[in-house]
Amino acid sequence: MANRATYTSGIALPLLVGGLALLCWEMAVRVFHVPVVILPPPSRVMLEFFGPRFAELLQHAVPSGLQIASGFVFATVSGILLAVLMAYSVLLRAALQPYMIALQVIPKIALAPLFILWFGIGFSSRFAFATFICFFPVVIATLTGLRDTPTEVLRMCQAIGASEAQVMWRVRLPFALPYVFAGLKIAATMAVIGVVIGEFISADRGLGYLILYCASRSETPGVLAAIAVLCAIGLSLYGVVAWTEQRLLAAQRGER
Amino acid sequence: MVERADYVTLEGVSKIYNPGPAQVEAVSQLGFSVRSGEFVSILGPSGCGKSTLLMMVAGLETATTGAIHIAGERVERPRLQTGIIFQDPTLLPWKSVLDNVMFPVHIQGLDEAQHRARAMSLLQMVGLTDFAEKRPHQLSGGMKQRVAICRALVTDPDLLLMDEPFSALDAITRDELNVALLDIWQRHHKTGLFVTHSIREAVFLSDRVIVMGRRPSRIVADVRIDFSRPRDVHVQESPEFTRLCTQLRDAIESQHG
Repeated sequence: MANRATYTSGIALPLLVGGLALLCWEMAVRVFHVPVVILPPPSRVMLEFFGPRFAELLQHAVPSGLQIASGFVFATVSGILLAVLMAYSVLLRAALQPYMIALQVIPKIALAPLFILWFGIGFSSRFAFATFICFFPVVIATLTGLRDTPTEVLRMCQAIGASEAQVMWRVRLPFALPYVFAGLKIAATMAVIGVVIGEFISADRGLGYLILYCASRSETPGVLAAIAVLCAIGLSLYGVVAWTEQRLLAAQRGER
Repeated sequence: MVERADYVTLEGVSKIYNPGPAQVEAVSQLGFSVRSGEFVSILGPSGCGKSTLLMMVAGLETATTGAIHIAGERVERPRLQTGIIFQDPTLLPWKSVLDNVMFPVHIQGLDEAQHRARAMSLLQMVGLTDFAEKRPHQLSGGMKQRVAICRALVTDPDLLLMDEPFSALDAITRDELNVALLDIWQRHHKTGLFVTHSIREAVFLSDRVIVMGRRPSRIVADVRIDFSRPRDVHVQESPEFTRLCTQLRDAIESQHG
C-alpha cells in the first residue's frame, strides 16, 4: 500500500501535471490562433519526431551527446582526483582553494569564445569547455565532503594506526559520497549547457547548431524538438547519476 | 626508573592552548600513576581538562610540559596496544557491526580468521550476536556504544582508555552498559583509565577514583575503592558505596569556592 501511495505521488502526479500543462498549451495556441512560427502547439512539435526531421535530430544528437558525456566523465574523474589531492595537502589547498571558489562564481560562459580560439571549432573545443564548466562544482563539492568527516572518527582512525591513504579511501571518501553526488548532479546540468553554448558559437553540427539553424529559417517546431532532445539527454545523464547514487547509498545502508 | 607495578605514569603533565597572553591552561602539572590491571576513573566537572588528559595518554594530543609513559615507554604518538572508546561511538555507517568491530584488524592487516572469531565472541559478550550483519543506523545508542567497546577490544590491547563513553546515553541504558563494562573488565583483565563526570559510575567501576578540580585543573582527591571483584549491581546499595559517593562529592564541591 505504501509503495502504491509513493507511486501515485512520485510518478503519476507529476505526469498528470505535465500532461495538463501540455493540454493547456495546445488549447491556448489553438484558441488564440498563435502562429506556428511564434509558438507551435505540442502536437506540431511531436510531428517533428515522425517526419524527415527525425533522422536530422538523431544525427545532431549523437555529437552533442558524446561531447556532453565525455566532458562530464572527464570532469568527474579529474575533479575528484584534484579534490583528493587538495584534501591531502594543506599547501595545495591553501594555494588553490581561493581560485577554485573564484572560478566557481565567475560567469564561465563568457569564456566560451576563448575555448573556440584555443581548441578550434571541432569536438575538442566543446569537450574542453564542457569539462571546464563541470569541473569546479565537482572539486568544490568533493573537497567539502572530504573535509566534513567527523573529528572523532578521524581521531579513532589515528588511534588505531590508520595511514593517511587508508583514512582517505576507507573513511573520508565514503563519508563524502553524498557531497560528491550533489556536485555531480550540478555538473551533469552544466555539461549540457557547456556543449550547447559551444555549438551556438561555432559548430557545423550538434543540437545547438540545429537550434540556431532552425531558428534562422523560422522553423520553430524544429527548434522545440531539438530542445526536447537536449532535455532528454540532460535528464538521462542526471538520471544515471541519481541512480548510481541511490545504488551506492543503498549498498552503504546494507540493502542490496 | 619506572616501577614495575606502575603501568601508566604521568609526571608534571600540562597542556596549554594558545601559548601567549591569551593562553588557556587546560591541564596543570598533573602527576599520578596507574598500576597494571588497575581500573582508574578520572572524575571531574565539565571543562576540567579530564578529556584532554585522556587524549594525551592516548597519544592523540601532545603534552606542553611533562612526560607520560606507558609500560616504560614514552608516549609520543598513538600506540596500537591502547584501545580507546570515545564519547561518540564513531562507527562507520556503511559498514556492518562485525566489519566495524573488525576495522582496526583490517587497518592493521592482522590475521582475519583469528580476529573474526574474537570479534564474534566479543559481540556475544555484549549481547549483539544477532546484530553482527546490521548497520549502525539500525542500532540504538547503547548498542552502538557496545559495538565501540568490542572494536576497542578486538586487537586485545593492554590498556583501555574511555572518554565519557556513556555520557550521551539515557540513565537506564547507561546503567546497563556499566554492568556490561564491569563484566567485560572482570573477564579480560586490562589496565583502564575512565573519564567521567558521574560519581556513581566512577565508584561502581573503579579500583581508584582521581578527582580533578576546575581549571587550572589539579588532583584534589585520590580515593581507593575497595569493593571486591567480581562486583555486581547490588554493590550500589551498600552504605559504603553511599559513603564513598558522598566523600567524592565533597571533594568536588570543595573546589567551588
